[in-house]
Amino acid sequence: MESLADTLWDVVICGTGLQQSLLALALSRSDKKVLHIDPNDFYGGAEAAFSLQEVESWVEKVETGKEGLFEAASVKKLGGDTGLSFPRAYSLALAPQLIHARSTLLSQLVSSRAYRQVEFLAVGSFSIFKPSPDSSQKPTLVRIPSTREDVFSTTAISAKAKRGLMKFLKFVLDYDITPQTDTWQPHADAPLTEFLLKEFKMDQELQTYIITLTLSLDGKINTRDGLAVIHRHLSSMGMYGPGFAALYPKWGGLSEIAQVSCRAGAVGGAVYMLGTGVKTMNDKDDPIVIELSSGDTIKTRKVVRANESATDRFGINRLVAVVGSSLKSLFESTVEGAPKPAVAIVAFPAGSLSTATGEASTSPVYLSVHSSDTGECPANQSVLYFTTGSEHASQDLLQQALDSFPAALSGDTVPQCLYKLQYKQLQSSAHSQANGSIFDFAPPASALAFDDSILQSVQDAWKMVLGDEAVEEEYLTFADREGAMDDDESV
Amino acid sequence: MASDDTLPTLKVLLIGPSGAGKSALLTRYCDDEFDPETSAATIGIDFKIKVLNVRGKPYRLTLFDTAGQERFRTLSTSFYRGAHGVLLVYDISTRASFLSMEKWFNEAEANTVEGVALYLANAREVTTEEGQALAEAHGAKFCEASAKTRENVRLAFVDIVDRIVQTPGLIQNARLGRAAGAVALGNGGSSGSGGGDGYGAYLSGGCSC
Repeated sequence: MESLADTLWDVVICGTGLQQSLLALALSRSDKKVLHIDPNDFYGGAEAAFSLQEVESWVEKVETGKEGLFEAASVKKLGGDTGLSFPRAYSLALAPQLIHARSTLLSQLVSSRAYRQVEFLAVGSFSIFKPSPDSSQKPTLVRIPSTREDVFSTTAISAKAKRGLMKFLKFVLDYDITPQTDTWQPHADAPLTEFLLKEFKMDQELQTYIITLTLSLDGKINTRDGLAVIHRHLSSMGMYGPGFAALYPKWGGLSEIAQVSCRAGAVGGAVYMLGTGVKTMNDKDDPIVIELSSGDTIKTRKVVRANESATDRFGINRLVAVVGSSLKSLFESTVEGAPKPAVAIVAFPAGSLSTATGEASTSPVYLSVHSSDTGECPANQSVLYFTTGSEHASQDLLQQALDSFPAALSGDTVPQCLYKLQYKQLQSSAHSQANGSIFDFAPPASALAFDDSILQSVQDAWKMVLGDEAVEEEYLTFADREGAMDDDESV
Repeated sequence: MASDDTLPTLKVLLIGPSGAGKSALLTRYCDDEFDPETSAATIGIDFKIKVLNVRGKPYRLTLFDTAGQERFRTLSTSFYRGAHGVLLVYDISTRASFLSMEKWFNEAEANTVEGVALYLANAREVTTEEGQALAEAHGAKFCEASAKTRENVRLAFVDIVDRIVQTPGLIQNARLGRAAGAVALGNGGSSGSGGGDGYGAYLSGGCSC
């Protein structure tokens, strides 16, 4: 076997987050010599999924400042060890993102054949949490009608509101052609809520429905982006089956796609090392000389890595809770023939929660509920992923959401919280960029839905590595690898 | 053979240290080929498919190689998902290779679910007793196989499939395949992914020499 030092690598990819892993997949049929390393001893970077044991060591690393994009992490087992299963029965996602059916990521996974190793599940309903108007009533969950059929059948809104909503849904389906563009372009940079009020006379409740569909973390998404996201949602509806617009990869979301992509890279000949980072790098020379933390010194023509320095300290807060209930009422299919959803989204709109000191929330809190079908927890348990834009006391707000949520569920059993993980994920406004022979990926976005824009960065990195050999039409388009079927005789 | 998509699919992994002869074993079994010159790391083989009849029933066997990710012990958890059987392979002529098997057993056991069926081999520098002891410690079966002479190669695969189909619940999971709520992308192909909640592990001494 060739030693690391004797090989002149075409590219060293550092990090196994989704972007780097997709690059490994893209290069997997290229005959390039690829060394793929990660300073972490796990796959997936900021998109990783962890067993409970792995969560603990990750939290320790965050606390020593060794996980650049994360801070303020803590973990708590509630009620001792009873109720929780063994640590490997869990696969908690650091950044669970749903993937819209129209996402280019899905078509790339299909054309590259990587999808065969990933199991996709349906994301079901989007609901709004409505606090109780007074102490004698329970809070409720209202499902957001997001198809024509939904709007017709819902009893949650008035006939007038139905007409407004229907008009808007129709508008969005063709929002990017005239005359629709003439309607929204003057408002492009204004908040979507203002546009909805001005052009569609929507009341605050309907505005909240629409904003929830955008999954905008601060609720302040502008009209241009907002319409694009709603359009993506509506046009994704029904694409892979009735009744759902988005998918979620089983066993921890994007982490699974990263791992499958790395495996494809390995099948293509890439060499993998975890727990190994770049210690020093001399990029003045050609080839670039890198000293790895493993002690090996290697030579490479190109380097692709992630820019994980969060320059601006803007971040989002997350709370992951494991509860001892299957929360069945959240995972019912609402359309005939629809697959059983494994993920349900609940939004706590701004103002629907208040902190311990009585201040009303100013940003929405989003909750992504994952059933045990996701493989992220054992049967009869669920994982609740709460997210909110960073603000003062927002961990307190997430706790409020966790405490308020059970009362809104139909059925009497109040689920017991067994486990709680909290952390802050930092953002950066840095962009992906190539600099000579080095390509830096922007830090991963912490949005709740997968954003296709990172795919362009992956393709740009691929182009930098392949140079003149890059054939754009063949990007991520591969034939199946599996060999011919052989028959063995009977036994 | 009729359409194979209807057959129950069994996912079997071959794991073990670099150079143990995993690919040699796979190629000998699937293609009945042996090339003493190929000692380079395996490139380009994702998995191989073989239809095998055991106890009068055909099964679609998908055999997954480590694709070199064993070299620095970087096999991913996703690689192990849905595996019904794990064939642990070590080099019959290297004691260090045998000594690493405890770690491989641990990794296989940690990443799959309980319900193991194992098998172990006798080797030149490893006494029968040692091999037997390791096998028994992990509830494994044992055999010594040579990709060069064909000795016991087929036995290893037949035995592991037999073990899988004889384990209550395991084959039922294989028939269920994907989870009830799974969504099909592309052409709906689902090769390579069983939905097992249990697995059979299998240890085999391999020899590419």
